[in-house]
Amino acid sequence: MAALVVRWFTRALAAGLLVAGQLGAQGATGTITGAVIDSTSRQPLPDVTVSVPGTQLGAITRNDGSFTITSVPEGARRVRASRIGYAAREQEVTIIAGGTTTVNFSLGQVAAKLTEVVVTGYGTQRREAITGSVATVDADEANVGVVPNANGLIQGRVAGVNVTLNNGEPGAGAQIRVRGGTSLSASNEPLYVIDGLPLQNEQTEASGIGIGGGAALARSPLNLINPNDIASITVLKDASATAIYGSRGANGVILIETKKGAAGTSTLEYESYVAASTPSDKLDFLTGNEYRAFVQGLVDAGEVNADRLDNLGTASTDWEDELTRTGYTQNHNLSFSGGTQSTQYRASLNYMDQQGVVLDNGFQRYQGRLNASHQAFAGRLRLGLNLTASRLNNNYLPFENTGGFEGGVFANMAIFNPTHPVTVTDPTTGEVRYYEIGPGSQSARNPVALAEQISDEAGTTRTIGNISAAYSVLPSLVATMNVGVDRSDALRRSYFPRSSPVGAEWNGRARQVERNLTNLNLQTLLTFTPQIGEEQELEVVGGYEFTDLETGEFGAEGRGYITDAFSFNNLGGGGTSFPPFSTVEDSRLVSFLGRANYGFKNRYFLTGSIRRDGSSRFGEGNKWAVFPAISASWKLSDEEFMRDRWFSNLSVRAGWGLQGNQAVRPYASLVLLESNNNARYPFGSQVITGVVATRNANPDLKWEESEQINFGVDYGFKENRFSGSLDLYTKKTRDLLLEVAVPQPALVSTRFENIGQIRNRGFEASLDAQVFERPEASLTSGLVFSIERNEVVNLGGRDFIATGGVSGQGQTGQNAQRIIPGEPVGTFFGWEFAGFDDAGKQLFNDYEVTRDANGNETGRRVVGTTTDPGGDDQVIIGNANPDWSLGLRSNATWKRFDASWLWRAEVGRDVFNNTALVYASKANVLQDRNLLSSALNDRDALREPAKYSSRWIEDGSFLRLQNITVGYSFNLPGSDRVGGNTRVYLSGDNLLLFTPYSGYDPEVFTDAGLASRGIDYLVYPRARTFTSGVRIQF
Amino acid sequence: MRNLRSLIPITERMRKLLPRTSTGRRGLCALLLAPVLLTGVQACTDLDENPTSAITPDKFYRTEAEILGGLASVYNSLRAPQWGYYNMSQITTPENIVPTRGSDWFDNGRWLEMHRHTWTANSPMALDDINGTYNDLFGGVARANVVLNAMEGVTVAGQDSITAELRTLRAFYYYLLMDMFGGVPLAEDIAVTPRERVSRDSLFRYIEAELLASRENLPVTRPAADYGRVTKGAADAILANMYLNAEVFTGTVTAAGLEKGAARWQDAIDAADRVLNAGVYSLAANWKDNFSPNNESSPEMILVLRALAQDGLGTNFLMRATHYNQTTGPSAWNGFATLAETYNAFDDADLRKSIFLVGPQVNFTTGQPALDRSGAQLVYTPEIADETQATESEGARLVKFAPDPARVGEHSGNDFPYFRLAEMYLIKAEALNELGQTGAAIDLVNQLRARVFSPPKPLDAGAYTQATARDAILQERLFELAGEAKRRQDLIRHGKFTNPSEFKAQSEPYKILMPIPQTQLNTNPLLVQNPGY
Repeated sequence: MAALVVRWFTRALAAGLLVAGQLGAQGATGTITGAVIDSTSRQPLPDVTVSVPGTQLGAITRNDGSFTITSVPEGARRVRASRIGYAAREQEVTIIAGGTTTVNFSLGQVAAKLTEVVVTGYGTQRREAITGSVATVDADEANVGVVPNANGLIQGRVAGVNVTLNNGEPGAGAQIRVRGGTSLSASNEPLYVIDGLPLQNEQTEASGIGIGGGAALARSPLNLINPNDIASITVLKDASATAIYGSRGANGVILIETKKGAAGTSTLEYESYVAASTPSDKLDFLTGNEYRAFVQGLVDAGEVNADRLDNLGTASTDWEDELTRTGYTQNHNLSFSGGTQSTQYRASLNYMDQQGVVLDNGFQRYQGRLNASHQAFAGRLRLGLNLTASRLNNNYLPFENTGGFEGGVFANMAIFNPTHPVTVTDPTTGEVRYYEIGPGSQSARNPVALAEQISDEAGTTRTIGNISAAYSVLPSLVATMNVGVDRSDALRRSYFPRSSPVGAEWNGRARQVERNLTNLNLQTLLTFTPQIGEEQELEVVGGYEFTDLETGEFGAEGRGYITDAFSFNNLGGGGTSFPPFSTVEDSRLVSFLGRANYGFKNRYFLTGSIRRDGSSRFGEGNKWAVFPAISASWKLSDEEFMRDRWFSNLSVRAGWGLQGNQAVRPYASLVLLESNNNARYPFGSQVITGVVATRNANPDLKWEESEQINFGVDYGFKENRFSGSLDLYTKKTRDLLLEVAVPQPALVSTRFENIGQIRNRGFEASLDAQVFERPEASLTSGLVFSIERNEVVNLGGRDFIATGGVSGQGQTGQNAQRIIPGEPVGTFFGWEFAGFDDAGKQLFNDYEVTRDANGNETGRRVVGTTTDPGGDDQVIIGNANPDWSLGLRSNATWKRFDASWLWRAEVGRDVFNNTALVYASKANVLQDRNLLSSALNDRDALREPAKYSSRWIEDGSFLRLQNITVGYSFNLPGSDRVGGNTRVYLSGDNLLLFTPYSGYDPEVFTDAGLASRGIDYLVYPRARTFTSGVRIQF
Repeated sequence: MRNLRSLIPITERMRKLLPRTSTGRRGLCALLLAPVLLTGVQACTDLDENPTSAITPDKFYRTEAEILGGLASVYNSLRAPQWGYYNMSQITTPENIVPTRGSDWFDNGRWLEMHRHTWTANSPMALDDINGTYNDLFGGVARANVVLNAMEGVTVAGQDSITAELRTLRAFYYYLLMDMFGGVPLAEDIAVTPRERVSRDSLFRYIEAELLASRENLPVTRPAADYGRVTKGAADAILANMYLNAEVFTGTVTAAGLEKGAARWQDAIDAADRVLNAGVYSLAANWKDNFSPNNESSPEMILVLRALAQDGLGTNFLMRATHYNQTTGPSAWNGFATLAETYNAFDDADLRKSIFLVGPQVNFTTGQPALDRSGAQLVYTPEIADETQATESEGARLVKFAPDPARVGEHSGNDFPYFRLAEMYLIKAEALNELGQTGAAIDLVNQLRARVFSPPKPLDAGAYTQATARDAILQERLFELAGEAKRRQDLIRHGKFTNPSEFKAQSEPYKILMPIPQTQLNTNPLLVQNPGY
């Protein structure tokens, strides 16, 4: 709306100038025609003012980017093209009397987009009037390479937003932290709002079963949105911007606007790409020959029985190679849009098929999207519709997130003996089957067989739709109603066949679990923009919002099949069936919100907002809370005393606000009784269905609150060729929603309580630069830099909370991290490795601890080393948080070529290499298990166990070349579209990684307990991907 | 089509968009749909939670069936002690050790810490095993409290008997807590709140009173369909054991060790006699019947953890002790071994020595020879050369509960006896000996030995003084009750718990009580740590 006003205003202004110019024209004249395009997107650019300096002549480009200027006096002239948000350009032309000269322009955006209109909560604002910390991402620019979902668009492009993809699985989930995580056990995920509708960022598919370990993490709920439909992403970072989202704003808000149709245009666009992915790195396990040689050496040294050699096979299998492959991805988009003055529409269809780089998994998306808007009653009523229907097919790989004694595909890839073959042929029947070690030795299984034999897939059908109606009651008063529905149905189906050792245990195990989410949202808003004089502007928004989320699950399981032929399709076909299980959860959020934006002289801006939220998830009497915020900005550069200084823009901002976090499961404040396996008991031979409390009551449970103060500066030099922002913030989160131990006796040993405090402080900087700008070439760069420090201030009297469970055999009960007051979340805690003794036993620093009468530690010192360290010898040994992080992106154009690249770096972060701890152990050979070849160079004795210590904490700093894309634009025969109607490109993802880290990849997420971070355990390998694509417009 | 249909309930639920309130206010609420600035309409905000797939206690425990559901959950808490309580009763003694076997079973050093008595309030074992035991046992108390509280408001058939059953179970969980930790917070209500510890002596008196009161309303026997539920005999057996340990349980522990409380030998004899003379129990003719997969048929069982060979309902002692290749299906864990000194203490002629596996091994499912991981015949050796770097076949294995051919996964149907009749013989024998009746004591011991030696090998009553008989009875308890989580308690009673033994140096005298784990102290500021820690 505001965008339209701005556009209309600039057109009217320019048209007025034109009329004046033409009146003064005389003598021999010619005509200039041409077109203007955006240098990055190669799209025609309307509303560009094209002028001839020194004359009053000029024109405004039309929707197709074309323009015509008549009556230009003959001779050498300069022609200038300028538009708000773009750097102006000039070209020299020679005008011939009576002739027509063609001049085309390619304009580069001024990256800061100082006068753009930005989508903020429940409305839009001019960029210069924004008083909070808000960053935007140009989706077209960011959508390069294979980007399955919106998370990939943000990575490395917004200061203070850290996106870590869980692993390299297609459609993998991600950890997104806006200004660091501020919560310990409640969600740290930001709120996503798509075209005004808050998205339920809930797992849409039931969790997997997991074989011998924690099941792989869920895939991203954002996969349903085709990145190609996204026009822009706005990230609200500080409290003054997010408080309008109240209880859901504490972790930042990500606003996604989809592409819309425009009046008077008609476009048809087809885009497609194909990509090939391979694992970007390998772990170095012993080959079959190396393994045999190692065992031979041990036999020769008398360390193991010579029988062990007989146990080895003759093959030399690289299980990593056998499991991985080149995965192909194809993506097709077809979109068309158009409209009249009163009705606009855009429709798109998407098909994406992404194969994983590991055997037998991937994901497919079929999606259709329709946006339509209509104006009636002379523009007083505006109706809008957004509808997305998608079908996702996820084919899962049975791999582990965490694990102990046994594991899934990757644990077995690590341990399965490399002297064994993948398959064997039965000498009598000629049948080829997977090689397995055999019954009884079950804890190592053929990983290729696991990947191929186990079926685990899910289909999700998800529909998101919202309808909005805005009615101008008065010219200054608009009433808006927005009703949205988000519904997903997913069925996860799994089968562990009899032919696999994991299924043989049950004679086949089949399972189906249906999960559905229904989210209803109603918003009513009243926007009042009174005219209060020439120099003042005011906008007041008030509204009500209601959200209802229902989650349901239903599942059943069968075991004991006589054949694998049924797979998961005939649960009743098994000899043993289990009672079906089902759950339903419902929660509601009711909100009243208000905001006022005030501007004076276009230099002083003030914003205040307040939201009152009520959530069903909290205890009686604690359901309601108020979240206020206030912020102001001052555009210094428009002041007299700043005129003609070297700042083309200088604006300072300050804001304060309170936000909440309600992300606990429903019913967290109630005692709940459930019938489950922890309550059954046999009386005689009859099993009694027991009923047991699954949580303790906590009627005092309330919101987790964050208070944030932000200071910011927006700057620009040289007509904003260099521009950016600096932000300094401090964020205190108190009443942390934390699942903590309760005093005994208690039905359950923990409950959710509001305990403790965390403080995050940080600095963020961004710089956008037009490095150079020539008629035929340009280079723009953007740099984002952030420093974030978090500290646990207190834990409600607790000394620590242990977290970060260590995975692997012999690691039961071991935790890698502690949450400790005074230290950051992600603090590694354990023994200090000090070398080896002569017997090859690991030595650790031995601490002597002194205590007072109450048992509290009063001092400690190292008194030597020990092979048997105890509880007192554990100290802080690392910090998973980076000292600083960096993103650098660039766009270059040269004639019809364009190129872009993105680098990301995080420096000074520690990673616990859990993979090396467990698999770089010579002792594995005693179980005929493979090991990382680095173990051969270690001084450990053969039987020395793997012990978690500082030895396995590594520097995880990295610099990554995330993407390079090179494109070329041209016209297909029959098209004379300016800038070309066709663009072809080549793109490479994850091409280079510089890191001292010895594992796969230092950017990892393993969900190993409360707020654990920086733990690397057998993740799905990250891909290196090459993409080639084309876009054709008609 | 499927999806269109699935949208129908949405329209139904769209009505919720009109927040539900009393009829009189619906007009006002409807205004919410008209976009107006909203003030003073908080009434239109229904935020009550009404869970539908789970229940809140105010809607439950009304009928006998519902109360039985609650009762089952209290019994279910008998399963947890087979982990923490069992392991801490076994591995802290020479009955068991869990050596580190290459990369297996290091587990943060907690198993060796348990055997060496090097735990502290903050050590890996404290934060895992001790903390888990504390929570698990109190969980049983809390489950009993919920049902007992709910029953105060209703009347169901068999009310008094069920109440007595719940109180007996609660007393038993407190008994296990008293054994491990000394005095602990005592609660009969369901509030989750910090509470102070009561003294061990007053906890003893509370448990005693509860059991004496409850036993009046407990049946002497149960029909087969209720096998596993507590009887009078169960209450008496717990009492007999408490009286036997009264000097410890009613004494005071300081950093320097135990200051004994008053002995209750005669009470122990009386309580044991109530069981022995109940007319319900008798010694199983075949000693091994007590540990077979269908050991519910043994006439010796007094208080058991009832187990079925079903997912989540069985016991898994077999898995802990035996080698990976001895089971088919889920492989066993090859963890717990016995110390050579314990194995060697058994008489070769004693049937009870057969609880140990040594020498060449077979797979329990196939009966075929079991191979070790190098492919050679698996041979268990009683000696362990280095407990920090043991091989996969070192150490005799204590497998008292015979492999269940019907086991499902790790779940075997062998019930675990918390109390069986043989212990009543031994309690009575020990108490008689303490009262100077050594001859009668040895006679009782010989009744147990009669069924396990062929030819018979009774102890010569005349050869014993009170002191040597004391040691003989302690040894007999080892032979009879090894693997039944009794040894820690027995050694403490006899003042031998902290003595040096294989792979263990002399430990501090205060280690006869487990520390309150640091995590519990953090949670409940009223808790005071046990002396010495």
